[in-house]
Amino acid sequence: MSDLDRAITQLRACRPIPEAEVRELCHKARELLIEEGNVVTVNAPVTICGDIHGQFHDLMELFRVGGDVPDTNYLFMGDFVDRGFYSLETFLLLLCLKVRYPDRMTLIRGNHESRQITTVYGFYDECLRKYGSANVWRYCCDVFDYLALGAIVLGASNTLPEPAPDDVEIEVHNSDGQVISRFLRQKDLDRGRINSTATSGSASAANGQHPITNGVSSSPTSSPSASSNKNTNNNNPSDPTSTTALTGPPGSSASSSSGGSLGNPAGAVLCVHGGLSPLIDKVDKIRLLDRKQEVPHEGAMCDLLWSDPDEIDGWGLSPRGAGFLFGADIVRTFNHRNDLSLIARAHQLVMEGFKEMFDASIVTVWSAPNYCYRCGNVAALLELSEDESGLGVLARSNGDMGRSLGDGGSSSGLGGSSSSGNWSGGVVDTSELPIRPGPARRYRVFQAAPQDSRGMPAKKPVADYFL
Amino acid sequence: MDPPPPPSTHSSTTPVPPPPSTTTATSTTSTASTSTTTPSFPRLAVLAPSKTHTFSPPQKRIHTGADLPHFLTSLAYRDIGIFILQLNRALCPRKPSSLPTSTSTSTSTATATAPAVKATPQPQTFPLNAPRSDPPSVLWLRDMLDQVAGLIDQAPPEKGPRRFGNVSFRRWYTLLEEKVEAGLLRGVLEGVDLGAWGGSLGAEEAGGGIKGEGDTKGGDGMLRGEGILEEVKGYFLGAFGSAQRLDYGTGHELSFLAFLGALWKVGVFRDGKGEGGEVERSVVLGVFEPYLKVVRRLILTYNLEPAGSHGVWGLDDHTFLPYIFGSAQLTRPITETEPMPLEGSVPGAPRPSDVAKAATVDLHRDSNMYFSAIGFINDVKTGPFWEHSPILFDISGIKDGWGKINKGMIKMFNAEVLSKFPVVQHFPFGSLFSWDPDPEAALPARTAHVASQPGNVNTATATPGEGAGTAAPWAQATKMPGSAAGVPSGPGIPYSRAPWAAGGSAAPSAPRGVVPETGPPPPTAFPRGKPGTASNQFAVTKAPWAKD
Repeated sequence: MSDLDRAITQLRACRPIPEAEVRELCHKARELLIEEGNVVTVNAPVTICGDIHGQFHDLMELFRVGGDVPDTNYLFMGDFVDRGFYSLETFLLLLCLKVRYPDRMTLIRGNHESRQITTVYGFYDECLRKYGSANVWRYCCDVFDYLALGAIVLGASNTLPEPAPDDVEIEVHNSDGQVISRFLRQKDLDRGRINSTATSGSASAANGQHPITNGVSSSPTSSPSASSNKNTNNNNPSDPTSTTALTGPPGSSASSSSGGSLGNPAGAVLCVHGGLSPLIDKVDKIRLLDRKQEVPHEGAMCDLLWSDPDEIDGWGLSPRGAGFLFGADIVRTFNHRNDLSLIARAHQLVMEGFKEMFDASIVTVWSAPNYCYRCGNVAALLELSEDESGLGVLARSNGDMGRSLGDGGSSSGLGGSSSSGNWSGGVVDTSELPIRPGPARRYRVFQAAPQDSRGMPAKKPVADYFL
Repeated sequence: MDPPPPPSTHSSTTPVPPPPSTTTATSTTSTASTSTTTPSFPRLAVLAPSKTHTFSPPQKRIHTGADLPHFLTSLAYRDIGIFILQLNRALCPRKPSSLPTSTSTSTSTATATAPAVKATPQPQTFPLNAPRSDPPSVLWLRDMLDQVAGLIDQAPPEKGPRRFGNVSFRRWYTLLEEKVEAGLLRGVLEGVDLGAWGGSLGAEEAGGGIKGEGDTKGGDGMLRGEGILEEVKGYFLGAFGSAQRLDYGTGHELSFLAFLGALWKVGVFRDGKGEGGEVERSVVLGVFEPYLKVVRRLILTYNLEPAGSHGVWGLDDHTFLPYIFGSAQLTRPITETEPMPLEGSVPGAPRPSDVAKAATVDLHRDSNMYFSAIGFINDVKTGPFWEHSPILFDISGIKDGWGKINKGMIKMFNAEVLSKFPVVQHFPFGSLFSWDPDPEAALPARTAHVASQPGNVNTATATPGEGAGTAAPWAQATKMPGSAAGVPSGPGIPYSRAPWAAGGSAAPSAPRGVVPETGPPPPTAFPRGKPGTASNQFAVTKAPWAKD
């Protein structure tokens, strides 16, 4: 049994590994992560997870519900640490699994994977308590700097695997694998949505009831996008080079034809911890960032990890003091420009475990049940299945930068010329942008691990104040 | 009825007793030995009414981490410390008065030589649920808090799918503001001689005879009253959480303490008995605990998020002071001339380890503030206590009694609340809690702790172990020099021992005070002003450098 496998065994038992092993593990992990691009390409099938926050036993429950590594291909969207009791064991286990099964485990950075945040929200205290020094915290933070900022999922299928019927777009399972609810796929453009009503099993009628008018969604729940004309001038930066002739993987900006690129028919899925940035209009711009640093207080990298979608038009200031709020029009424009069908993100507690917004163009996935031991929420993971059509299967790519040829012009996300929208050549009403049909989505909802799965109390080293 | 004459310790015309000039505890007690009956333990002085005193709405002064050292050597910091220690000491059980004061010969070394308490006369303890005779000011404040709590019924939480924090809290807070604007706090100054603060009515008896006179007859007294109200209002409105962020934390708790301290300074509590800490006990047990009850209702009703939470690695999600006051309630008894014990428990006290037993917590939560706070944790959290509250669990293993816990809590409060930029950045300063430097304060040592706050770049120059600026009040209380033991040198809670070093790991010996090589980056002033429309919720992590 290799050292790594032994470490995995020990960490699975929720026992930390010695400091020297942590150092070695972090060193290996860094060597691996440095080869990854800022935006990792992941092929479906994949299981996408949100915040964990040191809830180790609940992570074990997640693996029970979603399948073990390496049987299941996992993508974790950050915030492994802080707040919970087992940030250390949680992060080290995920890191071990990453090093051991690099192609079955994708880790991207959350806003808590940061020196400054971990000193405020608990991980630093935890390392100090569990090791008596800050060394392990420092090793981990050095790894944080190398985590990817996002991921693009390719090859996700429009349909769920058997036995789900072909026209099911969303299926919600409980932790025992039983179907709680199903949502049928809309014909045409009006995408299924289950917005905030998707409490387990209670939203079965929410989908498919929206009138369709000339192919344009007129759903009452999409009012932000329907009234967003006044913002579109600012939100459609110029795209001076026509890229309609290019083809390439969706999400790489190599294809801007909304009619249908090569690749999977469901369109690509962008995974990022927080959300969008006014400085990022193309996924390729993420690839150009220098990510190997502490999360800055502002700028594109900061925004990707800190922003939140909200029921507003355009961009708004975030109450978090970092990142931005962005509305449905922003998502619609971004997804269209990048040939995305969905943005998956984490970063916000959702009582029901997941929440689709803006005509299902963005989803929040939250994977920490009963957050902070008191929120009473359930957690969820999102499964995207593999497209069997044979299209869109690409080798895993570690973020080959500059694949797009059309990115030489304007780089301004905000305030750029609006005279040449890349879709119709004029000012684009974002509410009219077609939405790519999204991948079929299976959510598995689970609750906090039973308490009897906990080990014995730790020893009691008392803080120095009490000596 | 006439308010009783102010106790002698209150009427000092020097604004504040001089703080200890050194960090050794015994010095103040001995310098104050001119009065044999009331040794000068730190006590917040009631201000002498002055015509020239200018009240002002308190203002934010701590803008970056670089402002912290100034705060830690300010008059406000000193006064907060003195006030907490004063309240703390009042809650400590008292030896039976029939006992001879065996320590009269050497009050300053009482702890070392304290004799065993005789078994027959019971020490006097101060549980929450024992009858007290609270002064009118305290009764008034409690009534006022009842009104504040009553506003909850007028702003019921929103039903239906929602994020964690309930936006109806904003409605509640607006109601509170409206009520304050409509004069909610006016009555608190009824017992205060506003005339003496104002124009020509200088004499005590002029205003003291008729309650409320100064407030109603207009003129200078009226204006003065408004000025005082404006100033204390700032602390009061800051004490119930953030409507914008839908959170509540120790910064808000500190604001309420400052509210009470401000009232103390202008003489609101002069209607209570000054001897033996009776009025202080009324303030804590009769106002502060009811305040905490209101806050707990708010937290439960609106799902308020812990502000700036360390998660399980903080002492408590929301509050700190009940752990100070509650441990004081259970500490070994003292006489009026003895300082706070540094260890030991009052006979009959629950054991520290009992906090981990829910049933025992329930037995004591109605009488003790520490157990009341733990009981609230048990109400809102599920899971093993040692896991969701490991710091409290660790403390429950302390063998040296509640006195030891009390001492540690005070040091921890100084380090984890008062010395933390994210907590105190919102604390405003006025004439009562002043931003002016404390002339007696020790030179602010540039500890790693302070240095590691946002806003300080040069962590390399940190000098761990020198103690933060005015550790004096704290050090005095705990008989601990303001040295490394009292102030953490890193951003986290310091530990000297590696807990599971036995588990085969090569845990290094405890470099408590190791400064992270890569300190937080210097903050750029965050340029984005007021946030937008998002409904906040539990998952929200605020950037530590964020201003609001």
